Amino acid sequence: MATVTASAPRALPAVLKNRVIAKLALLALAAAILVPLANARWASGSWPDALTVDLTQPLTSASDWIIDNRDSHPLFLYFFGHISNGVVLSVRAVYLALLTIGWAGVTALGAFLAWRVAGVRLALGTAAAFLACGLLGMWVPTMQTLALMVVAVLASVVVGALLGLAAGLSDRMDRALRPVLDTMQVLPAFAYLLPVVLVFGIGVPAAVLATVVYAAPPMARLTALGLRGADKGVLEAVESLGATSRQRLLTARIPLARKELLLGLNQTIMMALSMAVIASVIGAGGLGDRVYQALASVDVGAALAAGIPIVLLAVVLDRVTAAAGSGTGDRPRAGWPYALAAAAAVAVAGRLLGRTEWPDAWNVNIAEPVNRAVDWMTAHLYSGVPVIGGTADWAGHFTTWVLDPLRDGLQWLPWWSVLLIVAALAWLIGTWRTALTAVLAMAAIGVLGVWEPSLDTLSQVLAAVAVTLVLGFATGIAAARSERFERALRPVLDVFQTMPQFVYLIPVVALFGVGRAPAVAAAVVYALPAVVRITAQGLRQVDPAALESARSLGATSGQQLRQVQLPLARRSLLLAVNQGVVLVLAVVIIGGLVGGGALGYDVVFGLAQGDLATGLVAGAAIVCLGLMLDRVTQPTERRTKKGA
Amino acid sequence: MSTPVFSVDGLWKVFGPKADRVPADPELTALPAAELRTRTGCTAAVRDVSFGVRKGEVFVVMGLSGSGKSTLVRCLTRLIEPTAGTIAIDGEDVRAMDKARLRELRRHRAAMVFQHFGLLPHRTVLDNVAYGLEIQGVGRAERREKAAEVVAKVGLTGLEQRRPGQLSGGQQQRVGLARALAVDPEVLLFDEPFSALDPLIRREMQEEVVRLHRDEGRTMVFITHDLNEALKLGDRIALMRDGRIVQLGTPEEIVGSPADDYVREFVRDVPREQVMTVRTAMRPASAEEAGAGPAVAPAATVSEAIEAVARNGGPVRVVDAGRCLGVVDSEGLLGVVAGTAPRKEVA
Repeated sequence: MATVTASAPRALPAVLKNRVIAKLALLALAAAILVPLANARWASGSWPDALTVDLTQPLTSASDWIIDNRDSHPLFLYFFGHISNGVVLSVRAVYLALLTIGWAGVTALGAFLAWRVAGVRLALGTAAAFLACGLLGMWVPTMQTLALMVVAVLASVVVGALLGLAAGLSDRMDRALRPVLDTMQVLPAFAYLLPVVLVFGIGVPAAVLATVVYAAPPMARLTALGLRGADKGVLEAVESLGATSRQRLLTARIPLARKELLLGLNQTIMMALSMAVIASVIGAGGLGDRVYQALASVDVGAALAAGIPIVLLAVVLDRVTAAAGSGTGDRPRAGWPYALAAAAAVAVAGRLLGRTEWPDAWNVNIAEPVNRAVDWMTAHLYSGVPVIGGTADWAGHFTTWVLDPLRDGLQWLPWWSVLLIVAALAWLIGTWRTALTAVLAMAAIGVLGVWEPSLDTLSQVLAAVAVTLVLGFATGIAAARSERFERALRPVLDVFQTMPQFVYLIPVVALFGVGRAPAVAAAVVYALPAVVRITAQGLRQVDPAALESARSLGATSGQQLRQVQLPLARRSLLLAVNQGVVLVLAVVIIGGLVGGGALGYDVVFGLAQGDLATGLVAGAAIVCLGLMLDRVTQPTERRTKKGA
Repeated sequence: MSTPVFSVDGLWKVFGPKADRVPADPELTALPAAELRTRTGCTAAVRDVSFGVRKGEVFVVMGLSGSGKSTLVRCLTRLIEPTAGTIAIDGEDVRAMDKARLRELRRHRAAMVFQHFGLLPHRTVLDNVAYGLEIQGVGRAERREKAAEVVAKVGLTGLEQRRPGQLSGGQQQRVGLARALAVDPEVLLFDEPFSALDPLIRREMQEEVVRLHRDEGRTMVFITHDLNEALKLGDRIALMRDGRIVQLGTPEEIVGSPADDYVREFVRDVPREQVMTVRTAMRPASAEEAGAGPAVAPAATVSEAIEAVARNGGPVRVVDAGRCLGVVDSEGLLGVVAGTAPRKEVA
């Protein structure tokens, strides 16, 4: 009896002290009060109509107003007009310059640049990549994409570096910019398309500006990070010698941040390429446009012929800029004037021989054989393969047994319970602040009146994330445990992580046709490398002393994994989930191009039909969905700081 | 005596919200550190410190970590802004200096050597050494020439084109030292410069500093937590505890007559015979002793005198410029080593 009375008062606070239970209890209390109220007023499975705000009318009139006034209003004439013209002129100038130099010259100069910053091997790789683009008959689209990239990257770097400089030097600026940049980083590329189209109309200026907006944040973030992360001891020493703040910036802070600056450049280039390809939807032209057109007519061969140059471009750009950043690679110190002269000579020779255009005779047409192979696959692998079924069967089953029930289940759930689940998840993983943002973002989706399609997108995201995490964690654990497996995996991950999102759509269309299942498959393939990498790294970074002591106590490798590695790598695993969700969402949205439907389709439809209102609402919903998913999976900020 | 190079009077550095009120309020200044923290949220790193650094001396500030010594040395050139008190360099008020004047001070008059070197990783050794001159606007050829000279002086010849990352810790600190020397400052400030080095390298660097001081006679302020280092290098030592100077004196005074139990505890294990001079062990010479026999200088350490006494087999004279000041015998020397000798006035 005595023990019972003694333990009872201690047990109750202990339960409340458990943060998880305390949070859930508080949430349950709030729900118990609010839900009957909400249910009584707006009883409805789906988002109640009374709570939506129809933005179609005002958005349509806004877009009509812009279209009507684009040629007359001073704002457009003197501001946007100049920007637009400037962009068109510079892209055109770069494009013409590239064409003037000719294919031989471009290849030679590209190889020279790669040799200068990254050594002989990458120089050969660069030359081979350019020649491959030519052989595939994609020289002109490649140059179009390259011209757009050059202008967009230059603008992104300037904008990003200036913002980063401001955030790196001023605390207030940093506090203001950081949440904005963090949020922009998690938004799917598609969300950026509509606003620029609204202002600039479909065309190259819109494409370039969307690319700049998408690609500048990493530069800004990394610039600020580098400036802020500079060794305090060095800065103090520099100050002790009497340096002015200008001298400190130029001779110490910026050079000390070199690594971050070049990493920023690398990321900006990769993001710009990714976006420049996607922006074909709003008139970017070039390689992306070829892929887009080919996918629209399910011409896998043609899509592949344009997709391969994109991948080559991505790999070359990534490797060369990464080598510049790491300072490795057998960088030649002498002899560069000769090499430059040689490259120039090649360009001039090409020009004199009248060979500036890629000779058609050299084109290798891969579209037809690829299409034949795809036809063969369609005939033999799509369905009816004994025992294992066919790819189309798999896609069908996945749609019927996973996607449909998930979507119907989500849409069947009362709207307030969706909000509750979001709140509970976000609060358990993060803070009440992230939970609040997540709930507000989810509610905003309802208010926008796109509850149903958003839940459709969400169901695809959830299914893809589940598959990604199962595959990613399993592969990541395997990679962390076997050195050899990791070594074999690394080059594959490297290539997959550099490819633009758009490219992933090509193989899945070949395998699974169009629909929601291929969109999910593309998302899984896109997100998988990041998840595998973060998981493996997290498991490997676990304190070796802790592992050693577990081993010395006689733990089996399974016990080590479950009791030491996984708990200690918790933060990395959560980060992997977060990254997985963000990446999956980006591709699921693009999946609207291959029959994924839902929000992505709304955006594409809005663009195609000139119905900007629908597209803008869907774009806003994508933003909200991205915010919600990111916040729900964001580990507590405070814990991060303590751990660091 | 000439004006001190640095003279510090009633210096306070308080970290925390509304730090200004702490030195001004006698009630708060009397509080011990922990209580001050709970009462005001402030930490007083330097409390009411006063001292003068004489021209040409090595002034050592010694204390354990957290005693405020590193904050103190940063206050001297206002790398950390003092909260209260006065600092003067050659009689000029440092706290009253404007930005330009302060830069002038940092560029030409006081240069600092840091514990973690603070070298610029992207520059060669030569350019790191020349950095201070570059900041001053000295032309490229001239500063490189000067830097090469200093690089040779600290024994780094042949490594001019290396980068800091390719050097050992000791070599990096030589670069740090060379960078400070290159601007030819009036005072050199050392902030625990050798704490991050291996014991052997540390001794080598200490000898380097002794040699530099002997050759150039530059004024030095040297921060350390290592008592042996302080005793070895210091002409005078200020011993700090909890932000205050608990004793300021020559090594001999600190070891021979500790001001309180804290200092006594601190110097307990010091080999006294290597610090104390024969003056402490001296007794007046009788007439026949004063005339002849082996002699030692008054600045000789007790351990040197022990050797002389042992060799002589009897008392040894202490002779200063031909004048016999007294004699030391085995009894007096043993008394010093044992720490039982009656305390004598140190001249």
